[in-house]
Parts: sequence; structure tokens; C-alpha cells
Amino acid sequence: MSNLTSARSKKAWYKAKDVRSIFVIWLFLTIVLAYGAINLTPKLMGVQASDTMEDVVRTMVYFTVAAAPVAALVWSIALYSLFGWRYKGKSIPTEDGPALHSNTKVISTWVVVSSVLCLGLLVWGLSLVSSNASENAPAEESLVVNVYGQQWAWTYSYPDNGNVESHDLYLPIDKHVVFRVTSYDVVHSFWIPEMGTKIDANPGAITETKTTPTKLGEFTVRCAELCGLYHSQMQNLVHVVSEADFTAWINDQELVAMTNESEGAK
Amino acid sequence: MTTAIRKHARNNVGGIMPRLNIFTGLLAGVISAYIVWKLANAFLPGDDSPTRNNLAITVALFGWSIGFMIGIGAFVGPIRWLLGKDLSEEENHFLAGKNQGVWRYFRFTTDHKVVGIQYLVITMVLFGVAGIMAMIIRTNLATANGQIVNASQYNNLVGMHGIIMIVATIIMITGPFGNFILPIMIGAKDMAFPRLNALSFWLIFAAVPVLLSGFFLGGITTGWTAYAPLSSQSSPGMNSYAVTIIIFAISSAVAGANITTTTLTMRAKGMTWSRTPIFVYGAVISVALAIPAFPMFMVSQIFSLMDRGVGTTFYNANGGGSAWLYSNLFWLMGHPEVYVILLPAIGALMEITTVFARKPLFSFRAAVVGMAGIAGLSVLVWAHHMFAAGWAPALDGPFMVTTELISIPTGLLFLVIVGTLWRGNIWLRLPMMAVYAMLWNFMIGGITGIYLSDVPADMALHGNMFVTAHFHFTLMGAGLVGAMGAVAFWFPKVTGKLLDEKFATPGFLISQVGFNVTFLGMFTVGLQGMPRRVADYAVIFERGNQIATAGAYIIFFGMLLFMYAMISSWISGKKAPINPWGSQTLEWTVRNPIPLENFDELPVVTSDPYRFGEKR
Repeated sequence: MSNLTSARSKKAWYKAKDVRSIFVIWLFLTIVLAYGAINLTPKLMGVQASDTMEDVVRTMVYFTVAAAPVAALVWSIALYSLFGWRYKGKSIPTEDGPALHSNTKVISTWVVVSSVLCLGLLVWGLSLVSSNASENAPAEESLVVNVYGQQWAWTYSYPDNGNVESHDLYLPIDKHVVFRVTSYDVVHSFWIPEMGTKIDANPGAITETKTTPTKLGEFTVRCAELCGLYHSQMQNLVHVVSEADFTAWINDQELVAMTNESEGAK
Repeated sequence: MTTAIRKHARNNVGGIMPRLNIFTGLLAGVISAYIVWKLANAFLPGDDSPTRNNLAITVALFGWSIGFMIGIGAFVGPIRWLLGKDLSEEENHFLAGKNQGVWRYFRFTTDHKVVGIQYLVITMVLFGVAGIMAMIIRTNLATANGQIVNASQYNNLVGMHGIIMIVATIIMITGPFGNFILPIMIGAKDMAFPRLNALSFWLIFAAVPVLLSGFFLGGITTGWTAYAPLSSQSSPGMNSYAVTIIIFAISSAVAGANITTTTLTMRAKGMTWSRTPIFVYGAVISVALAIPAFPMFMVSQIFSLMDRGVGTTFYNANGGGSAWLYSNLFWLMGHPEVYVILLPAIGALMEITTVFARKPLFSFRAAVVGMAGIAGLSVLVWAHHMFAAGWAPALDGPFMVTTELISIPTGLLFLVIVGTLWRGNIWLRLPMMAVYAMLWNFMIGGITGIYLSDVPADMALHGNMFVTAHFHFTLMGAGLVGAMGAVAFWFPKVTGKLLDEKFATPGFLISQVGFNVTFLGMFTVGLQGMPRRVADYAVIFERGNQIATAGAYIIFFGMLLFMYAMISSWISGKKAPINPWGSQTLEWTVRNPIPLENFDELPVVTSDPYRFGEKR
């Protein structure tokens, strides 16, 4: 009888005691990581001023929660090995660990689980990408803003309103907006951090990005591509205002533009 | 007695060869650069335009490199062959550095052990230089309106730090250990092409002054990516960058061909593929991956030089060119390149894990499949660096798929290491600490990489400090940690001395603490929305930046301790036994100091090198 148990324990590639401790560490780490992801990420990422940014924050949280058990597994085994399996001597250990060359069950489980997780990420990401593309549809109902990057300033023009130009960006709340972005010189990147929207401004090409602002307030545009000496200064304000305020502002701008034009004609 | 031997050795070798060394190389290089510069200014057509000036500087930089290589004697062998007077055996021994003492490190020496040490030293110097630049960058970022350097100097430091670190991390393991350790590990007397080996090192050496000349030519103010058309309008320092990359690409092609051929053809009798150590796989897959990758980089820089110096318009939209052509070429190199850096580090750490856990690798095959899978996928992911470029929105989905698939083979590598730790007899010496540090850092680097592979999340994070923190967690947290582990592991064999762990271990641990403080701080400002490569920033980012800067000083202190330990042990450390770790790979069977042709008798291999826990 005792022979049988010893033979079995020799054959088993794990010991129950190790597995129990590792499980406890794993559970603890997983909970801490998932809790941190759910609570810390939105806090750090600050204001979510558009539907796009809400998607981004959700993605970050979802990915971290999905990755937490994997990271926790690797770390819990590593951590446990430092205490549970530590060799305390000073010279080369005379005893070796067990000669475990491979284990089909372990490896196939690992590959299957990581593939399933990867598939989950892909489905999530691809569905977000395609839902973004479907925002393309109601083009007539969108506000179009042309964005011009140059060293080191942004200029905006509103083609639906007589092409009025502005150095501050004004957007009406809850209205789908399409940015058509280009550059006069080098590559810049048009980025509104609070709206999670970004697209490069390339010389000789027009690129597009879309979003719907969902919060009133002042936000920033920052350049996200090193564009020369004053790259860090290449930023300005985004004002998200009510529909009425936006109409008032744009009419004002049109008026100013017209006065300037007629003065120029004189 | 030694002088007698030296005289004897010299007496047998006549002609120009014994007279050439690093100094004749430097002299010939400087003279050649000067002459080419003068000739270019005298005879190049056109007026005194920036284009003409760029061209003159470019040819002068090539003039330096070719002059240096001639002056150090890189072409003596081929020219003698051309003349029908191939080198005699004595001359080949002279070329291998026989009986030349320390001098052999300053010559065109072909012995792979000399080349390995040369690579180790130049890597340390590059890390030192670029590390000091990182400290200036971090000091400037300690406050929102840092005034330590001005905007132009700041951009230059960012570019220089980036490209020097990239070069250093690419060579940091396959250079020193791929050359010194790998041939002995597979039971070979030397590399397959000893002269190409020396050539690859001295090309890198010639490229360093070219790169640093950028400092005096207006700087490399474009970041290491050198995006066009910003690079086209930048100062003449960009020529230095482009010429450096071209030389570096040649060097890595030569080194890659050499290491690959050596492994394919010179493994000891009985060393089948399944008995070949995993480090060899890591190194070979890495350099083999560099062979298709770096020519892309080289072409991108040739076009850049032509746009700058001859007025072509490859990247100029006004002339029908495209900035996207550059970014495509660049990232066709740029993404395989991160795995060129990573795979040898992982290979070295796997080697270390088996020895210090006293266990066989938990599935050698899974390790090989993991590495090969990463290498295969890595050439299909380049455009994930361009999600925000607007280049091909239709390809966002496919590139997201290929990128996220890499997590599967990468996960296998984690499984191999954790599985090897499983129930091991863990001997926690310095090399083993690097394994644990990598498991922590690379997990963070990997998971943050998944966010960046997701198109919508990348739109928020691209071009942002988050990305900077992410790739430092992979290249430094896994790559450099692997290199430090490799140094600690192989130091006794490379130098014949024991590494003083009294200083090296705290140095390593302090640098790891500092590393995590720095880059976790950087992650937070990234999430808050701080762009990268900015000399100043909005006040909301100040706290995270101060944490990052404090961490950087901790890293610096730790690295100094580690370097001190390395240098002092190298000079006056205790003599190392032949096999201080009880390892079973072949490099631990050769005498200290290692004889010129490594083995007194070529080994015959009868098993894999991980027979821990079995009767040996």
C-alpha cells in the first residue's frame, strides 16, 4: 500500500501543497489586478468627452481584466518558487529538480486557453473597428471640419459654413463630426486626448477620423507626432458647446470673415 | 620570454599586416574623409545649396568609413587572395591574435573570443553614452517647463538616445555572446567566416564616430524614427544618421550570415538539432530575422540621402512622393527588429533557468516553436505602427489580427520558463534574478502591447508616453535584463574571473526598482494623455513625470554599481573555476583562459545539455 502511494507521488508532476498555495496567490493577484484595472484606468484616463473615448476606456478595462488571470498565474508560480522551491546552500546544488521534459496536457491547455483569450480580444477589437466604420453612413448629418497642420499650429475650417477659419476648434455637443486632416509641411498628428481620437496629418494626402463629443467643456488638441522644434507647443483648445452656442459662434465667424473680405476689397 | 615569443610571432609575418591597427585605421579614415570632403566641394556641380552640402557631407562620411576599414586592414585578406598570394597559416594565426596580448583587441583580429569582447566593450560604452542622454532628458522633464536644454537640444537628445540605444540593444547579446559563447557552445573552433566576424565588429566601430558627428552637424532632431519629410528638412546631422544606418545594416547582414552559417555547418559531432542549446536557437533566429529586416532600413535611408543630397522626391509629396513610403520601409524593419532584440535575451534566460532551477527545459520543442512562431509572425505586423497614420484603414483589421496572434507564441515562451521553474531546486544567484525580473517586466510589456495592438485603443495611446513606457518595458525590461543576466551568467567564462555579486546584485536590483518606478510613472502620464518626445508639457503631467525622473536616477545609480562590479571584477576579480554553475553546455568544459582554438580535443555530443534530474 505504501509502495503504491510513493510510486504515485513520484509519478505526479505536482504536489497538492504547492498547488494550494499557488492558487491562493493567484486568486489574490487576479482580484487585485482586476480591481485595479476597473477602478484605476478610468480615473487615470480622465474625462471621457466622446463616445470614442468611452469605447477606449472600456477596451482597456476589458483587456486588463482578461489578462489579469494569465499574468497572475505566471507571477504566482514565480513568487511561490522563490519560497517553496528555494535552494538555500552556497555552492552548486547537488540535488536536481525532477526531470519534467514536457507535459502534453499542460502545454495543450495553455495553448488552447491563450488562443481563446486572443480570439476574445480579436472579436472585441474587430467589432469596435467595424462599428466605427458604420458611423460613416449618415454623412449628410455630420459636421465636417477640415484640419490643417503646419509647423507648429493647427487651423480649422468649416466647409459647410462658408469655409470660415479658426485657430480654436468649436464643436457642437452630441453631433457626429468628421475631421478631414492634412498638413502643409511635415507629418503631424491631430489628437484630442479626451476624445480618444487621433489621425496623422500628412502632406499631400487627406485622412479622416470621426467622433461624437458627449461632454460640454474645454479640451485640448495636441500634436502626437514629432514635427520639429516646437512640437511640444503645437496644441490648442477644443470648445464643445451647445448647438445654439455653436450656431451663434459660427454665424459670428462668418460675419467677421465677410467684413474682413469687404474691407480687403476696399 | 614573452617578448621573445612576440618577436618570434612577428618575425614570421612580414609585410604590411603587423603594422596595421586601430590607429592606422583612424589616421587613414580622417585623411580619407578630409580628401573626399575637399574633392566633393571642389568638383560637385551646383551652387552653395543645402543639397550640395548634404551630398558633400554624405560622401565624406562614407570616405571616413572606407578609409578606416582600409587603414585597419580589413581588406588585406581579400586583396592578397586577388593577387594570388593567399594568407599562410602563420599569417592566419597572426590575424587570429596569437601571442599578441592586449594588442589583439585593437587590431582586425579574427578570433571570435576577441570579437566577442570587443562587442561587449562597445555595447557598454554605447549604453553609457545613451544612458547619460536619458538622464539629461529625464532631468529636463522633472518640471513642466524644463530649461536644462532648449527645444532643439532636447529633440537631438531624444533622437540620439533612441538610435544609440537601438543599436546597442540589437548587438548587446548576439554581439558579445553570439560571438564569444555560441561557437564554443556548439563545439566549434571558431566562426565559419572569421574575417567577416572581425569585419562586422569594425564596421560598427566605424559607424560610431559617424553617428556622433551628427552632434556637430546640427543634431538628429527627428527622433530615432527619422520620419520623412521632417528628416528632409532637418539639419546635416541627418546625413550622419542615414550613413550610420547603412553601415550598421551591412554589419548586421555580415554578422547574421556568419552566425547562421556557423550554426548550420559547424556544430560538434552528435549535436543534432534537438541537442542544440536553446540560446543558439534564440541567437540564430534573431540574426536570421535581421537578414530580411535591415535591408529595408538601409533602403529607407538611401532614399532619404538621395532626397536630401540629390533632390529626388521619394518622400516629398510635392514631387509625387509619399511620407507613407518611408514609414512602411521603416516599420518593415522596425517590428521584426524588436524581436531581433528580444529572442536572444529570452534564449539566454532560458539557458539560465535550466541551470539555476536544476531542471531540463520544460518542453524544448515548445520553446523552439514559440521563438519560430514569433519570428514568422513578426514580419507580418509592421503596419500596427501606422494605425494612426491613415495610410490604409482597410488593413487595420488584418494587422490587428496578426499582431494579437503573436501573444500565442509569446505565451509559450512564458510557459517554458515557468514550467522550468516548476518544482525546481531554485538557486537564486544573480543570473537567476534576471529571469524573475523578466517574468515581471515582460508580462507588463506584453499586456500593454495588447492595448496598443487594438485599433481604437491605439488611437488614444499612439504617439504618447504610454508607448514609450511600453517599449521600454519590453526592450529594457526583457531585452536588457536578459543581457544583464547573460553577463552575470557567462562573465566567469568570458573573463576568467568571478563577477563580484556583492556589488553586482544590489546594482541589478536597484536598477530594477528604479526601472519600474520610472516606467510605471510614465504609463500614468501616458494614460493621462501626455504626448511623447516633448521638451515641456502641461502641468497636469508634472507629478507622474517627477516620479519617472526620480526612478531614472535610481536606475542610473544601480547601473553604475553594476558597471563598477563588472569592471573591478574583470580587472582584479577572483579566478573562476571552469564550471562555476554546474552547467552542462559545452562552453563550460573548456579551460580558463580559453585556448586559441577553444578545445584541446573537439567534443562529441551524446545527449541534450539539460540532463538535470537524470543519471548523468
